[in-house]
Amino acid sequence: MTVRKINASQAVAESLMQEMARDESVVLLGEDVGRSGGVFGSSRDLLERFGPMRVRDTPISEMSFTGMGVGMAMAGLRPVVEIMFVDFMGVCLEQIYNAMAKIPYMSGGRVKMPMVIKTAGGNIGSAAQHSQCLWGTFAHLPGMHVVAPASVRDHKGLMAAAIRSDNPVVFIEHKGLLLKKAKDFLTGSEVPEDAFVTPIGKAEVARKGNDITLVTLSAGVEYAMEAAAEVAAEGIDAEVIDLRSIVPLDTETVAASAARTGRLLVVDEDYLSFGLSAEVVVRVLEKLGPTALRQIRRHAVPDVPIPAALSLEEALVPGPASIARVLREMAAAS
Amino acid sequence: MKLNPISLFRTMTRMRAFDEACLEGVQTFEIHGELHTGIGQEAIGVALAQSLTPNDAVVSTHRNHFHALAKGVPPRALMAEIFEKETGLCRGRGGHMHPFDPEHHFSATGIVGASLPVALGYAYKFKMMGLPHIAVGICGDGATNHGTFHECLNMAAAWSLPLVCLVENNEYAISVRFRDVTATPTIAERASAYGITGRRVDGTDVEAVTLAFAETARHTRKGGGPSLLEATCYRFRGHYEGDHDNYRERAEKQRMRVEMDPILRYRRELLEHGAATEAELDAIGAKAREEMTAMLADVRADAMPDPAGAMDYVFAEVM
Repeated sequence: MTVRKINASQAVAESLMQEMARDESVVLLGEDVGRSGGVFGSSRDLLERFGPMRVRDTPISEMSFTGMGVGMAMAGLRPVVEIMFVDFMGVCLEQIYNAMAKIPYMSGGRVKMPMVIKTAGGNIGSAAQHSQCLWGTFAHLPGMHVVAPASVRDHKGLMAAAIRSDNPVVFIEHKGLLLKKAKDFLTGSEVPEDAFVTPIGKAEVARKGNDITLVTLSAGVEYAMEAAAEVAAEGIDAEVIDLRSIVPLDTETVAASAARTGRLLVVDEDYLSFGLSAEVVVRVLEKLGPTALRQIRRHAVPDVPIPAALSLEEALVPGPASIARVLREMAAAS
Repeated sequence: MKLNPISLFRTMTRMRAFDEACLEGVQTFEIHGELHTGIGQEAIGVALAQSLTPNDAVVSTHRNHFHALAKGVPPRALMAEIFEKETGLCRGRGGHMHPFDPEHHFSATGIVGASLPVALGYAYKFKMMGLPHIAVGICGDGATNHGTFHECLNMAAAWSLPLVCLVENNEYAISVRFRDVTATPTIAERASAYGITGRRVDGTDVEAVTLAFAETARHTRKGGGPSLLEATCYRFRGHYEGDHDNYRERAEKQRMRVEMDPILRYRRELLEHGAATEAELDAIGAKAREEMTAMLADVRADAMPDPAGAMDYVFAEVM
């Protein structure tokens, strides 16, 4: 099997191409997915290959074309609906959480919803309305799987898994990863050319370590790997776990690591309160018992909209430097 | 299109008897949530039943019983669902606002304005696959002021999709009068904004609405692109059972229930034209009530869903 170094947007486009070639019921729709090939290039060349009925540039009508995806899935297609930025989800959340996520249950299992919402989140300096992650929001609402790939390999494998799943999947790319060059990735930019599937719901240990369990996802994995390499020189040995998927959440892998290190740090680019970081901590404690860990830390975006100024953004959003600082604080504390 | 008057009358009568049977469950709390009946809007249900094929798709609203019956959803399974039974169409998980019947390509939504987008998805598939089917998205007058109305008609027209948008204009969005919140006197006239066929019909005149829907559906089915049919009607009961309904004058309600009752109107017509005798029509009514009373008794004997299954069906497969 041929393996090459490609970047994340190429990996997503390649996965879409292969899945659409494999299964005629797969259709892609959204703003700028066709003629432009996606604002991040993650649907490049698909319109030329599959034509406008299967690769549909839509008007700016998120509520209706998301609902159209729901209808397509109920009619037997496998739609991939792109909501360009996750922040726009507010416009179409009704169809996502009332229709897409609930219809399988409301139908008593009679209706399947093989639908993917493909969207980009994360901070790249775009301020409050174009910087959110929101995976915690989707994870809070029952009925949808939520994945956020970090490695280039997982961008391809998780997209294939999402398309082949009979469940609705929210696939959240990180804008920073989509813009990153293949050679700059610290994890998994070598990607098999053939189609493959990364199972949804299995975390991956991105770096083995013995001192602190660092749990994160998406671009947080790259930041954490950088931070872990930095503090390793100081004798701090962090284990970095890439969750890959928020729903289902792989508590097993996290708890096994935390039980060994006794220290748990969750790094989350989403908002702090009522979110992924608290959920991970509680699930680990429920599994291991309330006194199982020596240290628990959460490092997430405090509950504030993302500011425009770089100096302010850096003060709020977890990055390699802030993660390294937290790791040092934890190591020093015991 | 040749109409069978007795059949039209019987279908309307059965629909009303169905909803009247459901009303019993509200009093007894067997239906412990909301119930929105379609009483007074039977003729529109009949119009659907007369023109739709088994492969057409219908996406309905919170007031969906007659549309479901028209699409061929089994009445007993529908009633059992309304009564929250395990034997219901959706095993008691959906309830009366959320019936889903993939076999008959029928679904509904409890969210106003949310039906047309889903119908658009079916229409897209039919066009993509070159199938001769139509998707009917049903909404009320209230939903026509929702953004999805514009978005969907625009997309359907831009891509020439086989979507029929059927608007049941019963003049009230809960308490808000259509004319108080709508810029144009009719909804049908908005069709010209999308370059599509738009038509307004008296939705309480069963023959008129049946023919109008048939022509509209035929136009769309034959590749004429989307179409819009506005059927006027009047909601006989409150928005939901228990609605105090103090926003409509008593005199108005009394007058409209006589003038706009599709069953009474058609009964008079049939008698005037000698198409049936009083005794024949009475017998049809009695038989329909008998059928639905028996169905209700039958449904009442069914089991409620086992609490142990409350977490089932969230996902299609166990991860």
